[in-house]
Amino acid sequence: MEAALYIAVLGAIYGVFYYLNHITPKPAGCEELTAACNGCSLGSCGNHPSQNFELKETVK
Amino acid sequence: MSDLFTLFISALIINNVILTKFLGMCPLLGVSTKSSSAIGMGLAVIFVIFGSSVFTYLLYYSVLVPMSLEYMDLITFILVIAAFVQFVEMVLKKYSMGLYKALGIYLPLITTNCVVLYVTLDNIIKGFNFVEMCVYSLAVPAGFMLIMYIFATIRERLELANVPNAFKGNPIALIVVAIMAAIFTSFAGLV
Repeated sequence: MEAALYIAVLGAIYGVFYYLNHITPKPAGCEELTAACNGCSLGSCGNHPSQNFELKETVK
Repeated sequence: MSDLFTLFISALIINNVILTKFLGMCPLLGVSTKSSSAIGMGLAVIFVIFGSSVFTYLLYYSVLVPMSLEYMDLITFILVIAAFVQFVEMVLKKYSMGLYKALGIYLPLITTNCVVLYVTLDNIIKGFNFVEMCVYSLAVPAGFMLIMYIFATIRERLELANVPNAFKGNPIALIVVAIMAAIFTSFAGLV
Protein backbone atom coordinates (compact mmCIF):
# COMPACT_ATOMS: atom_id res chain seq x y z
CA MET A 1 0.00 0.00 0.00
CA GLU A 2 2.81 2.37 0.93
CA ALA A 3 4.63 1.54 -2.29
CA ALA A 4 1.54 2.18 -4.46
CA LEU A 5 0.90 5.49 -2.72
CA TYR A 6 4.55 6.45 -3.12
CA ILE A 7 4.53 5.74 -6.86
CA ALA A 8 1.24 7.60 -7.25
CA VAL A 9 2.75 10.68 -5.59
CA LEU A 10 5.87 10.54 -7.79
CA GLY A 11 3.74 10.01 -10.90
CA ALA A 12 1.56 12.97 -9.93
CA ILE A 13 4.65 15.16 -9.43
CA TYR A 14 5.91 14.16 -12.88
CA GLY A 15 2.46 14.85 -14.37
CA VAL A 16 2.32 18.31 -12.83
CA PHE A 17 5.79 19.23 -14.10
CA TYR A 18 4.97 17.84 -17.55
CA TYR A 19 1.78 19.91 -17.70
CA LEU A 20 3.47 23.07 -16.43
CA ASN A 21 6.31 22.64 -18.93
CA HIS A 22 3.80 21.98 -21.71
CA ILE A 23 1.82 25.20 -21.07
CA THR A 24 4.93 27.38 -20.61
CA PRO A 25 5.49 29.24 -23.89
CA LYS A 26 8.90 29.05 -25.52
CA PRO A 27 10.92 32.29 -25.51
CA ALA A 28 10.79 34.47 -28.59
CA GLY A 29 13.16 33.23 -31.26
CA CYS A 30 13.30 29.70 -29.86
CA GLU A 31 10.11 28.33 -31.43
CA GLU A 32 11.86 26.50 -34.25
CA LEU A 33 14.84 25.01 -32.43
CA THR A 34 15.77 21.56 -33.68
CA ALA A 35 18.41 19.13 -32.45
CA ALA A 36 21.49 18.95 -34.65
CA CYS A 37 21.01 15.19 -34.87
CA ASN A 38 21.64 13.38 -38.13
CA GLY A 39 20.28 10.16 -36.71
CA CYS A 40 21.91 7.06 -35.34
CA SER A 41 20.53 3.57 -35.89
CA LEU A 42 17.75 4.06 -33.30
CA GLY A 43 14.83 4.79 -35.62
CA SER A 44 12.39 4.91 -32.70
CA CYS A 45 14.08 7.98 -31.16
CA GLY A 46 11.90 11.11 -31.40
CA ASN A 47 14.81 13.11 -32.81
CA HIS A 48 15.62 10.68 -35.58
CA PRO A 49 15.06 12.31 -39.00
CA SER A 50 12.67 9.49 -39.96
CA GLN A 51 10.29 10.69 -37.22
CA ASN A 52 9.80 14.01 -39.01
CA PHE A 53 6.09 13.93 -39.88
CA GLU A 54 6.25 16.63 -42.57
CA LEU A 55 9.16 14.88 -44.21
CA LYS A 56 7.23 11.59 -44.21
CA GLU A 57 4.25 13.30 -45.84
CA THR A 58 6.50 14.81 -48.51
CA VAL A 59 7.98 11.42 -49.26
CA LYS A 60 4.48 9.94 -49.71
CA MET B 1 41.16 14.57 -0.46
CA SER B 2 43.39 12.33 -2.60
CA ASP B 3 40.62 9.73 -2.59
CA LEU B 4 38.25 12.27 -4.10
CA PHE B 5 40.83 13.23 -6.72
CA THR B 6 41.37 9.56 -7.56
CA LEU B 7 37.61 9.07 -7.81
CA PHE B 8 37.32 12.09 -10.12
CA ILE B 9 40.17 11.09 -12.46
CA SER B 10 39.02 7.49 -12.49
CA ALA B 11 35.46 8.38 -13.51
CA LEU B 12 36.62 11.09 -15.92
CA ILE B 13 39.23 9.20 -17.91
CA ILE B 14 40.04 5.64 -16.84
CA ASN B 15 36.53 4.27 -16.30
CA ASN B 16 34.93 6.63 -18.79
CA VAL B 17 31.27 5.74 -19.04
CA ILE B 18 31.17 5.82 -22.85
CA LEU B 19 34.38 3.91 -23.55
CA THR B 20 34.15 1.27 -20.81
CA LYS B 21 30.40 0.77 -20.29
CA PHE B 22 29.23 1.78 -23.79
CA LEU B 23 26.40 3.84 -22.36
CA GLY B 24 25.14 7.00 -24.07
CA MET B 25 26.04 5.74 -27.54
CA CYS B 26 22.93 7.28 -29.14
CA PRO B 27 23.84 10.93 -28.35
CA LEU B 28 27.49 10.10 -29.06
CA LEU B 29 26.67 9.11 -32.63
CA GLY B 30 23.73 11.45 -33.19
CA VAL B 31 24.90 14.76 -31.68
CA SER B 32 28.62 14.66 -32.40
CA THR B 33 28.78 15.94 -35.95
CA LYS B 34 29.64 19.46 -34.74
CA SER B 35 31.84 20.35 -31.77
CA SER B 36 29.45 23.15 -30.71
CA SER B 37 26.57 20.64 -30.49
CA ALA B 38 28.78 18.28 -28.48
CA ILE B 39 29.58 21.01 -25.97
CA GLY B 40 25.90 22.01 -25.65
CA MET B 41 24.86 18.41 -25.11
CA GLY B 42 27.72 17.86 -22.67
CA LEU B 43 26.81 20.88 -20.56
CA ALA B 44 23.17 19.82 -20.44
CA VAL B 45 24.19 16.29 -19.39
CA ILE B 46 26.43 17.63 -16.59
CA PHE B 47 23.62 19.81 -15.28
CA VAL B 48 20.95 17.11 -15.38
CA ILE B 49 23.13 14.30 -14.00
CA PHE B 50 24.37 16.37 -11.08
CA GLY B 51 20.92 17.69 -10.22
CA SER B 52 19.13 14.37 -10.51
CA SER B 53 21.90 12.58 -8.58
CA VAL B 54 21.52 14.95 -5.62
CA PHE B 55 17.72 14.57 -5.69
CA THR B 56 17.74 10.78 -5.97
CA TYR B 57 20.48 10.37 -3.34
CA LEU B 58 18.55 12.46 -0.80
CA LEU B 59 15.28 10.74 -1.70
CA TYR B 60 16.81 7.28 -1.31
CA TYR B 61 18.32 7.85 2.12
CA SER B 62 15.58 10.07 3.55
CA VAL B 63 12.48 8.34 2.16
CA LEU B 64 13.14 4.90 0.64
CA VAL B 65 15.43 3.56 3.37
CA PRO B 66 13.29 4.68 6.36
CA MET B 67 10.16 3.26 4.67
CA SER B 68 11.99 0.02 3.71
CA LEU B 69 11.20 0.64 0.04
CA GLU B 70 14.74 0.21 -1.29
CA TYR B 71 13.48 -2.17 -3.98
CA MET B 72 11.62 0.77 -5.55
CA ASP B 73 14.84 2.60 -6.40
CA LEU B 74 14.74 1.97 -10.16
CA ILE B 75 11.22 3.26 -10.80
CA THR B 76 11.78 6.12 -8.35
CA PHE B 77 14.91 7.27 -10.12
CA ILE B 78 13.29 7.05 -13.56
CA LEU B 79 10.38 9.23 -12.43
CA VAL B 80 12.64 11.70 -10.61
CA ILE B 81 14.91 12.10 -13.65
CA ALA B 82 11.93 12.60 -15.98
CA ALA B 83 10.32 15.12 -13.62
CA PHE B 84 13.62 16.94 -13.09
CA VAL B 85 14.17 17.34 -16.82
CA GLN B 86 10.65 18.74 -17.26
CA PHE B 87 11.22 21.13 -14.36
CA VAL B 88 14.59 22.35 -15.67
CA GLU B 89 13.19 22.87 -19.17
CA MET B 90 10.28 24.87 -17.76
CA VAL B 91 12.55 27.09 -15.64
CA LEU B 92 14.89 27.72 -18.59
CA LYS B 93 11.95 28.62 -20.83
CA LYS B 94 10.63 31.06 -18.26
CA TYR B 95 13.74 32.74 -16.88
CA SER B 96 16.76 32.15 -19.10
CA MET B 97 16.28 32.57 -22.82
CA GLY B 98 20.01 32.37 -23.60
CA LEU B 99 20.49 29.17 -21.67
CA TYR B 100 17.34 27.67 -23.17
CA LYS B 101 18.59 28.49 -26.65
CA ALA B 102 21.91 26.77 -25.88
CA LEU B 103 20.74 23.74 -23.88
CA GLY B 104 16.96 23.49 -24.20
CA ILE B 105 16.94 21.39 -27.33
CA TYR B 106 19.12 18.73 -25.71
CA LEU B 107 17.09 18.36 -22.51
CA PRO B 108 14.40 16.00 -23.90
CA LEU B 109 17.21 13.86 -25.37
CA ILE B 110 18.71 13.47 -21.91
CA THR B 111 15.53 11.99 -20.42
CA THR B 112 16.25 8.81 -22.35
CA ASN B 113 20.01 8.92 -21.81
CA CYS B 114 20.96 5.80 -19.89
CA VAL B 115 24.05 7.48 -18.40
CA VAL B 116 21.79 9.52 -16.09
CA LEU B 117 20.13 6.43 -14.67
CA TYR B 118 23.48 4.64 -14.44
CA VAL B 119 25.03 7.39 -12.31
CA THR B 120 22.07 7.66 -9.94
CA LEU B 121 22.00 3.89 -9.40
CA ASP B 122 25.79 3.63 -9.11
CA ASN B 123 25.84 6.27 -6.35
CA ILE B 124 23.68 3.95 -4.25
CA ILE B 125 25.34 0.65 -5.24
CA LYS B 126 28.85 1.93 -4.45
CA GLY B 127 27.71 3.31 -1.08
CA PHE B 128 29.13 6.80 -1.60
CA ASN B 129 28.79 9.48 1.06
CA PHE B 130 27.37 12.84 -0.02
CA VAL B 131 30.69 14.45 -1.01
CA GLU B 132 31.83 11.39 -2.96
CA MET B 133 28.46 11.28 -4.69
CA CYS B 134 28.83 14.95 -5.75
CA VAL B 135 32.36 14.35 -7.11
CA TYR B 136 31.32 11.21 -8.96
CA SER B 137 28.20 12.88 -10.37
CA LEU B 138 30.34 15.68 -11.80
CA ALA B 139 33.17 13.47 -13.07
CA VAL B 140 31.07 11.00 -15.06
CA PRO B 141 29.21 13.61 -17.16
CA ALA B 142 32.43 15.62 -17.51
CA GLY B 143 33.99 12.46 -18.98
CA PHE B 144 30.95 12.11 -21.24
CA MET B 145 31.44 15.69 -22.45
CA LEU B 146 35.17 15.18 -22.94
CA ILE B 147 34.64 12.15 -25.17
CA MET B 148 31.78 13.85 -27.04
CA TYR B 149 34.00 16.85 -27.78
CA ILE B 150 37.05 14.82 -28.86
CA PHE B 151 34.84 12.58 -30.98
CA ALA B 152 33.09 15.58 -32.59
CA THR B 153 36.40 17.21 -33.55
CA ILE B 154 37.55 13.92 -35.11
CA ARG B 155 34.28 13.61 -37.03
CA GLU B 156 34.64 17.16 -38.34
CA ARG B 157 38.02 16.15 -39.75
CA LEU B 158 36.56 12.91 -41.12
CA GLU B 159 34.11 14.93 -43.21
CA LEU B 160 37.10 16.06 -45.27
CA ALA B 161 38.79 12.65 -45.35
CA ASN B 162 38.62 10.19 -48.21
CA VAL B 163 36.67 7.42 -46.47
CA PRO B 164 35.64 4.36 -48.52
CA ASN B 165 31.90 4.29 -49.24
CA ALA B 166 31.31 1.16 -47.16
CA PHE B 167 32.74 2.88 -44.07
CA LYS B 168 31.07 6.29 -44.41
CA GLY B 169 28.83 7.43 -41.56
CA ASN B 170 28.35 5.25 -38.49
CA PRO B 171 30.85 2.46 -39.41
CA ILE B 172 33.86 4.79 -39.43
CA ALA B 173 32.47 6.55 -36.34
CA LEU B 174 32.32 3.24 -34.45
CA ILE B 175 35.87 2.38 -35.56
CA VAL B 176 36.99 5.75 -34.16
CA VAL B 177 35.22 4.99 -30.86
CA ALA B 178 36.95 1.60 -30.70
CA ILE B 179 40.38 3.20 -31.23
CA MET B 180 39.58 5.84 -28.60
CA ALA B 181 38.54 3.09 -26.15
CA ALA B 182 41.83 1.28 -26.75
CA ILE B 183 43.78 4.50 -26.17
CA PHE B 184 41.92 5.37 -22.98
CA THR B 185 42.54 1.93 -21.47
CA SER B 186 46.24 2.84 -21.43
CA PHE B 187 45.47 5.33 -18.66
CA ALA B 188 44.59 2.41 -16.37
CA GLY B 189 47.77 2.69 -14.28
CA LEU B 190 47.51 6.47 -13.87
CA VAL B 191 45.94 6.45 -10.38
